Amino acid sequence: MFDEDLILKWLDEGTIDHAQAEKMREDLAEYKRERRSKKQIVAFSTIGAILIGIGAILFVASNWEKIGNTVKVLLLVGSTVGIHYAGYRLKYEQQKYPRLGSALILLSALLFGASFFLIAQIYNINANNSTLVLIWILGVFPLIYGYRSAPIAGLCSLLFYLWISLLYWERPDLDKLISIWDLYLISGISIYFLGVLHGLAEKVKHAEPPFKFMGLQAALFALFVHTFELGEYRVDKIVPVIYAILGILFLAVLLPKPLRERLKGFQADASISVVAFLMAVITLTAIYSPASEKTYMILFNIIFLGLLTMLLYAGYSTENIGIINTTMFWFVLLIFARYFDFFWELLPRSLFFMLGGLVLLVISVVLERKRREFKVQFSGGEQ
Amino acid sequence: MKQKQIFYLTIVFWLLIFSGFILYKEYTLRTGTEILLKTEPVDPRDLFRGDYVTLNYEISTLDLDEVPAEDPYFNYNDRIYLALALEDGYGVPKKVYRNPPDDELYLKGTVKELIYNWEEDEAGIITEDPHIKELRVEYGIESYFVPEGRGREIESQQWTGEEGVDVKVVVDKYGNAVIKSLLIDGQEVEI
Repeated sequence: MFDEDLILKWLDEGTIDHAQAEKMREDLAEYKRERRSKKQIVAFSTIGAILIGIGAILFVASNWEKIGNTVKVLLLVGSTVGIHYAGYRLKYEQQKYPRLGSALILLSALLFGASFFLIAQIYNINANNSTLVLIWILGVFPLIYGYRSAPIAGLCSLLFYLWISLLYWERPDLDKLISIWDLYLISGISIYFLGVLHGLAEKVKHAEPPFKFMGLQAALFALFVHTFELGEYRVDKIVPVIYAILGILFLAVLLPKPLRERLKGFQADASISVVAFLMAVITLTAIYSPASEKTYMILFNIIFLGLLTMLLYAGYSTENIGIINTTMFWFVLLIFARYFDFFWELLPRSLFFMLGGLVLLVISVVLERKRREFKVQFSGGEQ
Repeated sequence: MKQKQIFYLTIVFWLLIFSGFILYKEYTLRTGTEILLKTEPVDPRDLFRGDYVTLNYEISTLDLDEVPAEDPYFNYNDRIYLALALEDGYGVPKKVYRNPPDDELYLKGTVKELIYNWEEDEAGIITEDPHIKELRVEYGIESYFVPEGRGREIESQQWTGEEGVDVKVVVDKYGNAVIKSLLIDGQEVEI
């Protein structure tokens, strides 16, 4: 989007006259107002849908006793279908409130899970059953493509992490194969890769940002946990193979020029592929030549910082404020964690907290200022 | 594909999932055999933990010296079929099978833990290959849900920790089980 500087430049060059410049300024202001308003509608309706969905899930969890099971099931299944229909009507048939319609479709996807859990509860299916979450995913996954729904892609990613967590908890033998943190890291990288694949085809491009965002958060979370001393690092031989396959899959998409040109976030994608290959090497050495806990801690701190730096660069070069916000958030967490690690024992408590608070204040001021600068730069003057 | 078709397909797909699941469970409830299983809550001081109670049945631990197995070699997560004999309405373990037995009432389960018996000589040295002594088995009926907030009330009114706790279970001909009710000292818990 062009900004005030460009308008002035065109005025100086004589490309446009004052009347045209004024018209451009007015149109630009109108466009920005419209865009802000659209964003607010999406934000409010999505938050509203999520809140109602959480309410429905809690309602099911409370196993409401005043009505019979049949009525309860009919009520929830009826609401799910009804809300889905309302969402469909608003988005496609009336087309008056498409954003509200999308939010209602998301709500129906949440209610589908709530209804299914209610039915499972009525039949006393074992608590924390991973299969139920898997059926929830299978039930709502087609909606990502049917309704071109990005929020449902985000929901499916979240449910996927929930599913693997429950599966890991149900199957203690998995612990011998892989640590939960490596499992999250592999899942995060895989979901991110799914996002990359969606970025290649125009028809499913809408699912690229949510998959990438959710994958990146999981990968960063798992790597962040690795920056602590976690004890002996044990992995099975299959783990480096999985990391290597993921790295190769990334290369298969990133190296051919025709594919690469279709991707907007090439640098960020390349950073994740680097992490996949690094993890393949680290897990391979952990099997054949294991190092001490401390060594892994230092190594993962370096990798984490390296990844954040690469992402910051990627965010800056692709003018993606989302990646920059993510990077800064995890950077602050890392500093906070290391500050606790290194100074908790060394400083008197009062000094520790005062100094810590001061350091955080300074960092937050610096980061916020930097973030605003980026945002202004990327949006062409819009705050 | 048009949006209208996608809408109808979604609704049909969802209703199929709901009804398929309900039919599967109702089939067991309507065609199966009712049996009682002796159980004890996992934590006897806290029968109703939150919204559900975790049930640990007598048949959750199978002593292979007492309950013969068709084949004594098991692995973690193996599917087993526990044949049951009915004694005063109670399901009593008869034999552990690796395949569904013919003409017998049986319960389908999954091996969750293997407990070995180590043969040692006087010096404490293991002399033989260990053999499996006990199996910890899950049957998919280890949770019983109660209304929120009612657990403690039911516990204080109906269960003091000394009475027997039984579960009425319906088992179909494929070994699938569904919990019907919980009995404390022979009385069905009113929910």
